[in-house]
Amino acid sequence: MVKIRPEEIKVLSNYIYNVSGITIDASKAYLLETRFGKLLDEEGCKSYSEFYHKAKSDPRRMLEKKIIDAITTNETLFFRDTSPFDLLKHKILPDLIDVRSGKGTRPGTTNLKIWSSACSTGQELYSIAIVIKELLGNNGNHKTTLMGTDLSNAAVAQASAGTYNKFEIERGLPREKLHRYFTPAGGNWKIKDEIRAMASFRHMNLMQPFVGIGKFDIIFCRNVAIYFTLQDRKKLFDKIADVLEPDGYLLIGSTESLTGICPRFIPKRHLRSVYYQLQ
Amino acid sequence: MTFLKILVVDDDPVTRTLLTKRLINEGYTIDTAEDGRVAIEKLARQFYDVVLTDLIMPGGVDGIGVLEEAKRINIKTEVVLITAHGSVDNAIEAMKKGAVDYLQKPINFDELFLRLDKIRNLKMLVKNASDLREAMDVTEKTSAETIQDLEILVTELNGRLSAIRATLLQEGMAPESRIRQVLDGLDEA
Repeated sequence: MVKIRPEEIKVLSNYIYNVSGITIDASKAYLLETRFGKLLDEEGCKSYSEFYHKAKSDPRRMLEKKIIDAITTNETLFFRDTSPFDLLKHKILPDLIDVRSGKGTRPGTTNLKIWSSACSTGQELYSIAIVIKELLGNNGNHKTTLMGTDLSNAAVAQASAGTYNKFEIERGLPREKLHRYFTPAGGNWKIKDEIRAMASFRHMNLMQPFVGIGKFDIIFCRNVAIYFTLQDRKKLFDKIADVLEPDGYLLIGSTESLTGICPRFIPKRHLRSVYYQLQ
Repeated sequence: MTFLKILVVDDDPVTRTLLTKRLINEGYTIDTAEDGRVAIEKLARQFYDVVLTDLIMPGGVDGIGVLEEAKRINIKTEVVLITAHGSVDNAIEAMKKGAVDYLQKPINFDELFLRLDKIRNLKMLVKNASDLREAMDVTEKTSAETIQDLEILVTELNGRLSAIRATLLQEGMAPESRIRQVLDGLDEA
């Protein structure tokens, strides 16, 4: 395997930061080798400098996309950590529907917009869709718009396809839900159309300005800011505050905190879960 | 899981004895069954890491039958089929049904040991990964509780600090009274 030289670590880390916002500490240089070793071979590069120059000089930015796919972590599960989904089902959705159906232009109707801001391969957004389906059934009065975005094009493509292998399906997803919401597809499992149709996915870099995405009632931003610098985390949650409805809900990862990051949000507790709302 | 527990299934006593002897010499734990039916009974009673079974056996349950039943009982049991020389098609059919590997007769023991080594390494990797996941889940859960408690506590404390500040800045009250009011407030909390 090609070894990365100390002076290359800095150059490549800077490049990765610029295209993805992900910061790689010099002590984690091994991460660069494990993540890019194969790509380096595929591209026929003899050194990380060559690799870097190739990525920078590609006008179609194909290599940049591959680098992003390789460096992003796609550790995700259906119903990863059940508490946010319980919170959604028992607290957030009922509360929002109560509030909105009272003051909507046509009383009794709602349109809730939900954003999975680092959706990875789609498990989080599909889990949300399943919760909504189970809570609201086919009640036509309550419309929902579910959007999933991710930095990795490969992840977005898999999310859109809605197909998962047995390892991806194995943990987190109860058997009964697997059989109700998925169909077997040649050794894999494919999300059923009724759930697939509820969600849409697209590529988005959270480091860039949020343009034309509108406002959301519920935002999931779990386990992504941990890869950013403190400065970038502050900017990210400030932008999130801008696109959250005044009475909307923000959910972050269970081991994340907004203390010292975004004073616009206040944490609130429901049973064992914490969620955030604007001041 | 240094050594695998293997169930050897073969209707030919000579093959059975030979396999058993060689595998025990290599340090594996061995049990045997003389046909498919006995094999299934044993599989239902206890867990084997690997089933090494002949493909063609008399008595109604052949190697494929053992394979299907073993996988149904416990997906983690790996099945290696032993096929007659030249019957590769059958072996491929078995691989499609979930067999991990196949060997052709006459059995080349070096090859067999190599395959078993591979299975053992794979099982250890899978176990390591699931142990790590479990450890991660536990760590994540306990740290989440601490972090969330702190998050709420910090917010409460900030609220109290603001209240103290407001009291201390209150006009039309003697400084000493303000301090007393703050201290009373702190005592209550």
